[in-house]
Order: sequence, then C-alpha cells, then structure tokens
Amino acid sequence: MAKKFLQRLGLKDKLLAIIVPLLVLAAWQGAVSQKLCSELILTPPLTLLNTLLELAQSGDLTLNILASLKRVMIGFLLGGTSGFVIGILMALSPFLNRIFGPLIKALQQVPEFAWMPLIIMFLGIDEFAKYFFVAIGAFYPMVLNTYQGVSGVPEKYHELARVFDYKSFRYLFKVIIPSALPSIITGIRLSLGLSWMFVVGAELFGSDSGVGYLMTWGRAVFQIDLVMAGLILVGVIGFAMNFLLERAEKQFLLWREPVDGRPA
Amino acid sequence: MKKLLISKKTKGILGAIAFPIVFIAFWQLFILAGFPSARFLPSPYKVLQKFVILFSDPTYSHNIAVSLQRVMIGFFIGTLAGFIFGLLMGLSKTAEKIFAPFFHAVRQVPMIGWIPLIIMLFGMNELPRVLIISVAAFYPITLNTFSGVRNVPREYLELASVYGYKGLTLIRKIIIPAALPSIATGISLGLAMSWSVLMVAEIFIQTAFGIGTQIQRGRDRFDIALVIAGIITVGVLGYSMTLLVQKIVKAVERGQVISADK
Repeated sequence: MAKKFLQRLGLKDKLLAIIVPLLVLAAWQGAVSQKLCSELILTPPLTLLNTLLELAQSGDLTLNILASLKRVMIGFLLGGTSGFVIGILMALSPFLNRIFGPLIKALQQVPEFAWMPLIIMFLGIDEFAKYFFVAIGAFYPMVLNTYQGVSGVPEKYHELARVFDYKSFRYLFKVIIPSALPSIITGIRLSLGLSWMFVVGAELFGSDSGVGYLMTWGRAVFQIDLVMAGLILVGVIGFAMNFLLERAEKQFLLWREPVDGRPA
Repeated sequence: MKKLLISKKTKGILGAIAFPIVFIAFWQLFILAGFPSARFLPSPYKVLQKFVILFSDPTYSHNIAVSLQRVMIGFFIGTLAGFIFGLLMGLSKTAEKIFAPFFHAVRQVPMIGWIPLIIMLFGMNELPRVLIISVAAFYPITLNTFSGVRNVPREYLELASVYGYKGLTLIRKIIIPAALPSIATGISLGLAMSWSVLMVAEIFIQTAFGIGTQIQRGRDRFDIALVIAGIITVGVLGYSMTLLVQKIVKAVERGQVISADK
C-alpha cells in the first residue's frame, strides 16, 4: 500500500512527501525547544536520534535487536513449521481436516494475548514461554494459508501427477508445494509479521533483553526517549521484514496476485 | 433405505458437534488417567463448575459489561475518526499526499509497541485503554474507507455531475453509498482488531474490572479453571460479535445490490 502510493506520485509529489514530514519534525523540535511542550513528555527528534546513536555505540542496540530476532526466528520456526505441516495434512486428508479444522477455528476465536497468562502459568516466563507465545502467533496465518494453497491445487495437476505416477515425497515436492507456493509465501509473510508483534508483547511482559525490554526499562526509569527509540525500532524492523518478504513474494510469484489480509 | 433416516442436515450437525464432544472426552480422560503433567490442568467438569459459580457471581457479569463497554467506546471513536480521515484522504489528493506517508509509517508499529509509551503519557487509567482500542479500529477503517471512496465507479460521478450534485450532497448521495461495502469490510475488520487489542489493553494496563483482568486474576491466584473460563468467555463473545457484524455487513451488501438494480 505504501509502496504503491509512492509509485503513483510524481517527482513533485515525492518532494512533497519528503518535505511535509521534515516540516513536522522541525515543528516538533521547535515546539520542545520553545518550551511549548515538556521534553519529559515529548522527546524532540534530535534527542531521539542521539539516544539511538548512544544505544548503537554502547552495543545495547545490537544486543537487544539480536535477542529479539533470535526469539522471532525460533518461535516462527516452531509455529510456522507446525502450521505448514498441519496445513498440508488438513488439505490432503479430509479426515484430518475434520479433526483439526474445528479445533483451529475455535482456538482462533481467542485473541492471542489472552493465552499469555495461561502460558506463563504452565511454562513460566523464561525463553521457552516466549518461543511458545511467538509460535502461537506464527501458527494461524501459516496453517490457514498453507491449507488454502494446497486445497487450491488445480485438479489437472493431481491428474498429471497420477499420470507420471508421482507418489508421496515426489508428489509433495514436485506438485503440491510448488503449486501452493504463492499462498505459502503469503502465509510466511503474515506469520512473520505477527511473530514480530508477539515477541515485542512477550518481552514487554517480562524479559531481560530484547527491543521490548528496552521499552519497559525506559518506562521504569522514566526515560521517554528510550521508549520512543524502542517504538521506532519496532516499527522499522517490522517494516523491513514485511518489505523484504513482499519483495520475495513478487520475485517468486510473478504469475499470481498476492493474497492479502489478516486471517479474520 | 435405512440410511435415509439420517438426513444430510443432521449429518452435518452431528459432524460439527462430534469433534468438540470427542475433544472434551479426551481431555477428561487425560485428567482421569492421572498423568503427572496433568496435575495442574483442570478437568472440563471443573471448568464447567467454574462457569456455574461465575454465572451466579455479579463480578463476572460486571467484568463482561465493562469489557464490552470499553470495546464499544474505543471502537466507536476509532470508527468515527477512521471514517472521517479515510473520507478526507479519499476525497482530496492533497490530503492524501500530506497524511498518507505518516499514516503508513505509523501503521508499521504493532499495536503492542505503543503500550509503554501511552502508559508513560497517560498513566494506568481508562484513557490509554480506550485509546489503544480505538487506534486498532482506526487503521482498517481508514484504509477501507479510503479505498472505497477512491474506487467509486466513474459512471456514478458522471451521473452525479449530470444531476448537479456537489459538495455534501455528492458525498451523501453518491460517494458514501457507493463506498459502503468497503467501509463495512473495514468496520468488521476493525471490530475484530478492537476485540483482540482489548486483551492487550486489559492485561498490560492493569485495571480493576474486565475479562482480561479476570484472566490475570486467575493467574495470580493460580486458579487455572478461572483462566480457562476467561479465555472461553473471550472467545465466545468475540465470535458472537464477529457473527453479528458479518450479518450486518451482508445485509449492507444486499441492500447495495438492490439499490444498484433500481
């Protein structure tokens, strides 16, 4: 959406799109330095930049980003892989579909954050609980999109596979997965996006490292610049992940329109 | 002929309820089998008992009422703001150029990321809770109103200019009705988001009442049955709200088709 928007703009409009935010940043800086608004409440952009640079210099930035990314990756691999496998199984076997379908649909009605207290009761608040929570977030979009993709494999492909006598693994890797790939990649993108959101949530709940921790800590010591720096990091990293995967989506799937939308 | 005794409809219903029954039976058996890992897990019967207690407990209904009220206020504010903002950006290219980059930049931050900041700015009270719920509804409604307004068929606008509709009349008689299906989609997405963010709001910004609070309280007292009852309540309420809104959206779309036929 944002990219389409930029493409549609001409050069003059691109300039406008850059100038307006700059003006707002200048006004923001000005408002604080003119004491229209307390620095304690709204950190001016320059201070914010300074905070980010300081964090980068002290190494805290890399450390915390890496900690968060590690959690995202492990949680995503756990949840995404199980979503992928269950999605394929559900699409290929009506029996399993009847078992997992209603279960997933029922569980999906519960907002993911409502699971948090239960997870903490059973798993504590250590790393594994975080992986698990991230995995829950990664699971739904992956299972739904894989299921959709695999059940949408055209009948003629199945027939062709039968003609070639493709069985089990060959059938899966040569026919099913390639054909369902567009949907699967959309699933990966949505699922990674949610993983990112959930890792921040899990870190806000209690942790000693990560971008979310940076923010909780900033709040605890009443350093609003840290909180805002964390907020920017969360936004930028989330955006970068989505952007890269959208790119990949387009590269892989020139022949199909990407399916968008959060699973309802 | 005997097979016909079970009609397709009953078969469908049986299929739909068979799974939950089997699931609950397995759950109960799992507990009865006495696995050590099942020590903490309450049996379905215990959860049912908890529900019986909760139903006669005025706090429970109060929690539900408070949560629903919270969502409704936040959702209403978010819808209104999103509708106005989306309409503005859809109608005016200048407004789009000025606001859209911001809107898309800010939208990149997951809702949960705002929590520490808004707690710092507003403290732990009702305002940040309602605010974050309304922001959750705001994004999808803005986006869908915007695209709905932008995609009003050209013929409609031509027709409007023939009739000499301008300004508010144009918006009221042509643009909004034509954009309605898209707006309705935005509203149903927005409600789902609000409901999901309600849990974030109630769990992260501590409060005395609400279903999220009930779940938290269950955790504090290590009352897992209470936690599970809370989760089920959230799921059921969310699902009924989704169904209701879907019905309304469908009705709106049907109205759209009828008026287009005329």
